[in-house]
Amino acid sequence: MKAMLQLVHRLSAHPDSRCWYVSWSPTGALLASCGGDRSIRIWGKEGDTWQCKSVLSDGHQRTVRKVSWSPCGNYLASASFDATTCIWKKKDDEFQCLTVLEGHENEVKCVAWAPSGNLLATCSRDKSVWIWEVDEEDEYECVSVVNSHTQDVKHVVWHPAQELLASASYDNKVCIYKEEDDDWECRATLEGHTSTVWSLSFDPEGQRLASCSDDRTVKIWKDCGTGDESVDGSWKCICTLSGFHSRTVYDVAWCRLTGALATACGDDGVRVFKEEAASDPEQPVFYISAHMPKAHSQDVNCVAWNPKEAGLLATCSDNGEIAIWNYHSDA
Amino acid sequence: MASHFSGVLQLTDLDDFITPSQECVKPVKVNKKQGRSVAKIQIEDDGTYFQVNEDGQMQKLEKAKITLNDCLACSGCITSAESILITQQSHEELYRVLRLNKQSSSSEQKLVVVSVSPQSRASLAARYSLSSSEVARRLTNFFKNLGVHYVFDTGFSRTFSLLESQREFLKRFARKEEDKKALPMLASACPGWICYAEKTHGDFILPYISTTRSPQQIMGSLVKSFFGSHQGVEPQKIYHVTVMPCYDKKLEASRPDFYLSEAETREVDCVITSGEVIKMLEEEGVSLSDIEPAPLDTMFSNVGGEELLCHAGSGSGGYLHHVYTRAAKQLFGVEVEELTYKTLKNKDFQEVILEKDGEVLLRFAATYGFRNIQNLVQKLKRGKSPYHFVEVMACPSGCLNGGGQLKPEADQSNKELLQQVEAAYRAEQPSVPEEDQRVAELYHTWLNSTGEEKARELLHTQYHAVEKSTTGLAIKW
Repeated sequence: MKAMLQLVHRLSAHPDSRCWYVSWSPTGALLASCGGDRSIRIWGKEGDTWQCKSVLSDGHQRTVRKVSWSPCGNYLASASFDATTCIWKKKDDEFQCLTVLEGHENEVKCVAWAPSGNLLATCSRDKSVWIWEVDEEDEYECVSVVNSHTQDVKHVVWHPAQELLASASYDNKVCIYKEEDDDWECRATLEGHTSTVWSLSFDPEGQRLASCSDDRTVKIWKDCGTGDESVDGSWKCICTLSGFHSRTVYDVAWCRLTGALATACGDDGVRVFKEEAASDPEQPVFYISAHMPKAHSQDVNCVAWNPKEAGLLATCSDNGEIAIWNYHSDA
Repeated sequence: MASHFSGVLQLTDLDDFITPSQECVKPVKVNKKQGRSVAKIQIEDDGTYFQVNEDGQMQKLEKAKITLNDCLACSGCITSAESILITQQSHEELYRVLRLNKQSSSSEQKLVVVSVSPQSRASLAARYSLSSSEVARRLTNFFKNLGVHYVFDTGFSRTFSLLESQREFLKRFARKEEDKKALPMLASACPGWICYAEKTHGDFILPYISTTRSPQQIMGSLVKSFFGSHQGVEPQKIYHVTVMPCYDKKLEASRPDFYLSEAETREVDCVITSGEVIKMLEEEGVSLSDIEPAPLDTMFSNVGGEELLCHAGSGSGGYLHHVYTRAAKQLFGVEVEELTYKTLKNKDFQEVILEKDGEVLLRFAATYGFRNIQNLVQKLKRGKSPYHFVEVMACPSGCLNGGGQLKPEADQSNKELLQQVEAAYRAEQPSVPEEDQRVAELYHTWLNSTGEEKARELLHTQYHAVEKSTTGLAIKW
């Protein structure tokens, strides 16, 4: 049987605006979206359709670029071009702006919650990556400001289990950070992309990291370290997916449940890759399993796998739409 | 550090320093002549630009220049770009003045004064395994051989700075009920912090910052106002150089507030870093180990007998220590023998508390590095700062680890070096500011005779919020 992407639903999520990012809540029951209309919308399934449950519109003065759920699902963080990050607390079906994190000099591009829920990372056009700590009283304190990139930082992502952070930048590089003494520092710089690195995703075990770029490739990096914490820079590129995308690859997502790798592309297409089962783990081979050429009428900005329902994929686009797909594996 | 500071300045590669921002928004004005429509621009081998007109005429194009004052008035950067600093404030500039002095008639010559900071001494002491005072004696000889007339110690002007800070704190404490911005008083000696505060938090944060001048700028007052008239030399005839652990001190010296407009001269003409002193030694082909010691110029130096003294407390001037012990005594009658520093989030955020019968009387903090400054500012904005006084410094570990200090040698870690610098700094005996007879005398004679307003001007300064300019910079998604 040939694998395929089947459209489940299409939503006009942020009309007359761009929809920048979508993020599933940890239970997979809710989907948060954000866009150029400065709002965040929360979507939930009702019967066969997806309904907008809340609109969070009073938090930001400019575009909301990314949103991130806390691991407990009770908080949502939003990163905005107004240079702030908002923390929203969920109470029943309502969201309340709990606090506004200030400090970045200009546009905040991404926010991500660490698996423990105690740490939050943000990055900005000001080239810095900030790590924030949350205490029991919902107070946020900046624990580190790291300036390892030489350009706009586009994305930050945490390792699924460890306190290890990765960032992607307009300087074509990926940086990996760890805590050292009482500060965070860049422990490895991944070089190989020839243009902006737009997004990152760890594989379910956290041994590999996928990066996607304006150079139209996706690269798979592996931590080849011996487990010895003192050895740095042990991340190596073990695979490059080139020739599949005809424009910038804006997002990449590794499904925690199936191991499938989805990409969002500037050619309006959504693709799903799978790893050849028999391929050498040190030199894996990926093949294209499904391709939806005109998934949206404009650039696809984001792909997000539902964390609980295998194969359920949300995508969003410059035309303001969200699409929800069902991916049926061929294996 | 992500920004590429030039090798000449060798800013440190630690991550936490306040870095320049992405765009310089200061518009550069270039005088254009009307009426020429077509022209080519040709770049010569030496990098100069020529405009070539249609008829083949060549005209050298002017370079756009940005001054330190432009940097201070612009919201584009937090600190300034390195190339700008070197044109006005560098050891090259000091050499130029000294050369000029040798070629000029005695009436044209300038009186050259160098004031060395205790942190710079400590940095050099660690490198050469000398005592800090021995470094001072050898530097005195070195500078005087180059044509410098006097070598002073900014530890002396720091005594004024500490005394003024303490007085200012007591006044602020007294009006804390009616003036919500009286406390916490935030220390003002760090120019990186001042620059950041003016540019990013402006009118909100500035009222909290102590108006007391930094040791460098009190030395500026002493040298150009007092010493000048004492020696019968006009301020513009004195060339005043300071040796500092920090590049941002160059910016501080360039502030319009420290420009004597009548005499058309700065109170501190040139700031060179500890690292630049090493450069000078290298250029002269000498090592500090081989230079003979010379007697100290004790007129403006914090000395006890033959040795230089330091101040108790942190290597960043000991502001917290001094203000805390005096406030405890004068406000609550508590004699504090030793301060207990409690480390909070990290080693650069420490707290000292004075308690009596379970009640907190005084809560002081030392907050170093960008991340901790962030948290302090955010706490203030939320009205959740519990502090009465905060010693704020932009560099992690404070001034001993300043961006202008000597870099570790090949086999040395930054941490090891910092420990050695601290040890050299601590080896000097602490002096008690109130017991310095010469300082007391200067308060009595010089500052009393100038009138209250002038005295305030000589020891205090003011801050100016920088308007955020909103240029339509291209958005990058």
